[in-house]
Amino acid sequence: MKKKLISALLCASMVACMTAGCGDSGNSDKGGTEGSTGGSTSSSDLAYSGDLEFMHFSTEEESQGNGGSDGMRTVLQQWDDANPDINLTQTVLANTDYKTQIQTLANADDLPDVFMIQGMNVKAWAKQGLILDLTDEIKNSPYASDYNEDYFTPFKDEDGNIYGFPALTGGTCTVVVYDSKAWSDAGYDTFPSTWEDVEAAIPKLKDAGYQEAIAFGNNAQWQMNSCFLSTLGDRYTGKDWYESMINKGGASFEDPEFVAALTETQRLFKDTDIFNKDFNAISNEDAREYYISGDAPAFIGGNWDVSYIQASLEGTDLYDTTKFAVLPQPADAQYDKNSQNIGLGYAVAINAKLKDDPDKLKAAIDLAEYITGPEFANYVTENYALGGLTKVADVDLSKFDQFTQDFYNYSYVDTTPCEIYDSYLSSDIWSVVNTDLQDMVNGDKTPEEVAADAQAAYESGY
Amino acid sequence: MLQKSMRRKSRVIALYLLIPLVIYIFSVFVPLITAFVDSFFEWKGGPQKTFNGIQNYITLFHDETFWQSFGHNIYLVAICILGQIGIAFIFVLMIDSKLVKLKGMHRTFGFFPSTISAVCVGFIWKMIYDYNRGILNWFLKLTGHSDAVKVWLNEPSKVMLLVSIPLIWQYIGYYMVILLSGVASIDKEIFESAEIDGANAVQRAIYIVLPLIKNTLLICIILCIAGNMKAFDNIYVMTSGGPGTSSMVMALYGYTVSFKQNNMGYGCCISVAIFVLSLIVIGGAQKVFNFLLKDKEVE
Repeated sequence: MKKKLISALLCASMVACMTAGCGDSGNSDKGGTEGSTGGSTSSSDLAYSGDLEFMHFSTEEESQGNGGSDGMRTVLQQWDDANPDINLTQTVLANTDYKTQIQTLANADDLPDVFMIQGMNVKAWAKQGLILDLTDEIKNSPYASDYNEDYFTPFKDEDGNIYGFPALTGGTCTVVVYDSKAWSDAGYDTFPSTWEDVEAAIPKLKDAGYQEAIAFGNNAQWQMNSCFLSTLGDRYTGKDWYESMINKGGASFEDPEFVAALTETQRLFKDTDIFNKDFNAISNEDAREYYISGDAPAFIGGNWDVSYIQASLEGTDLYDTTKFAVLPQPADAQYDKNSQNIGLGYAVAINAKLKDDPDKLKAAIDLAEYITGPEFANYVTENYALGGLTKVADVDLSKFDQFTQDFYNYSYVDTTPCEIYDSYLSSDIWSVVNTDLQDMVNGDKTPEEVAADAQAAYESGY
Repeated sequence: MLQKSMRRKSRVIALYLLIPLVIYIFSVFVPLITAFVDSFFEWKGGPQKTFNGIQNYITLFHDETFWQSFGHNIYLVAICILGQIGIAFIFVLMIDSKLVKLKGMHRTFGFFPSTISAVCVGFIWKMIYDYNRGILNWFLKLTGHSDAVKVWLNEPSKVMLLVSIPLIWQYIGYYMVILLSGVASIDKEIFESAEIDGANAVQRAIYIVLPLIKNTLLICIILCIAGNMKAFDNIYVMTSGGPGTSSMVMALYGYTVSFKQNNMGYGCCISVAIFVLSLIVIGGAQKVFNFLLKDKEVE
């Protein structure tokens, strides 16, 4: 009897656990109540009522301290509240998982209604008929006059058709974060503007107890491309070269300018003591910890790293002395020494299947317009001093601390934008390049070999 | 009456068996067959596929990275048979000896690492190999060997050995438990008579234990080969196949081609090749093993 009672209780608790688990699925997120600013929201005059799926990667965890994610979640909540007849179902994954998942869904032709797309996938997915051509919708958007037109470039096909509303915040992918005090002690009032000066500073930095001048992490292989070569390459080739690569205008990875950029990259990582010795074995997350813990006087990463560094250092002396600089200029580079690669890496795209359901399509377009529109831009500008797709006039920086103001000026005011390499071309090219780069900086491949492999992948896959 | 109830019972059993069978067919056979079909297409993901005959297989034949990865898998298999099963066999002989106390404790603690997920093991060993904070470099510095300090996972010539060590460490206990069960079934009188005949421990191990646990050993070797032909998790965590492709293995290469390069057709071709090559290696190993132990069999 006693046994029966215990087994009945165990069964009951098991069923309770299972049903509780079902009711609280980690992936599906029907919004919540947090975050709504109560400002103007999207019109609720949409004819559609029913489910609308949106898949993205602005998780609640990421939104803590990350302006883009917080802004995205906020405007999504606003749109959801303003459209009670539409059941907005959100599937939210961490960024790395998201990339794999969305790729798998695209392969299976099972994409959600609305989702985030990376620039490098646009041409292939458009060719497959997976995503909707949004050129007319973007032209007729109520916010069209406020759009920053440059941000659309990665999301166009060869004919200039646009397949997404660029989303989240315009963030740099290459920034030197440095401790101005450490560099001032080494004799530099600002971060050195040439690699020669960085090399010259190494003995003094070593005397001060630092093992390296700059921390960098490339174990996942994309970092060398996104956070280094993309900007350094621009210094050697100028902007026309990459535009020609994108438009198949005759430029080649084997052009001497690009090979020179690869050669300099190899020299800096292999033949100098500028970077930490374990750069190929650690991630960018590990490398930024070297900076945060004071082991390295500088770090190279992207805007996502800056958000983390800011949150980690707040209230410390290092927070006050942290400054930002562009990548130093190589001696033999001829182009803009003030460039940094910045852009909106993702856009909101719409499943091509929605064209069979005009009401649902209208709702999806309304959602895409809203979450990339002025509500989002104003929110991230006011709260984080960040920029979105629409321009915001008269940004008041005075209420932000020096760290935030400095990073705003670095990102949008004091520097020249250049393209993020892997926002364009295709993922198979970059997979080959990234793998080769890791070998190259170890000295196991020559820059010429890397260029040849890249060109072969470019010719066969683009 | 009895027949009727038996018939009903066997119908229920068949029904229960049907559920795992359907799941098995759906999760193993269907993907295998669809992958085989898709391997004849140029398919970059999405609904459009172009039939390209055996072009993917021709590309695979000339794909240096794939064959390099295959070589790495064979290296893993070889080093893990020696490391995992070899060391496990020595441990079994030690634990089985009369001198060792607390045998149960040795078995439990030995088995413990194999219960940890490969991802966690990868992270643990990544920390051990860490250049600045790793225990290996710390120990080298402590013992005055600072010149031997290295960025271990960035050494192309050593990285395969370094990613193999966690795998060996993890599964010694697993094979130890399997081999112990084999050794336990040997009649103790055989050892006693061998001892009387003057056989030493090494001779007993080679001429008595090995032939008598031949079948158990064969199962261990097949499990070891199968496990290492599909190695993925800990290498993915530790090096992602790098530096470059120095620690790339077949499964990781298939994943990279399919999901990083979006080349699903070729990715399917790689999966089929992994399947076929694994079957050949396992079948070959079985034949070699049988041949080697034929003469040593105890009648």
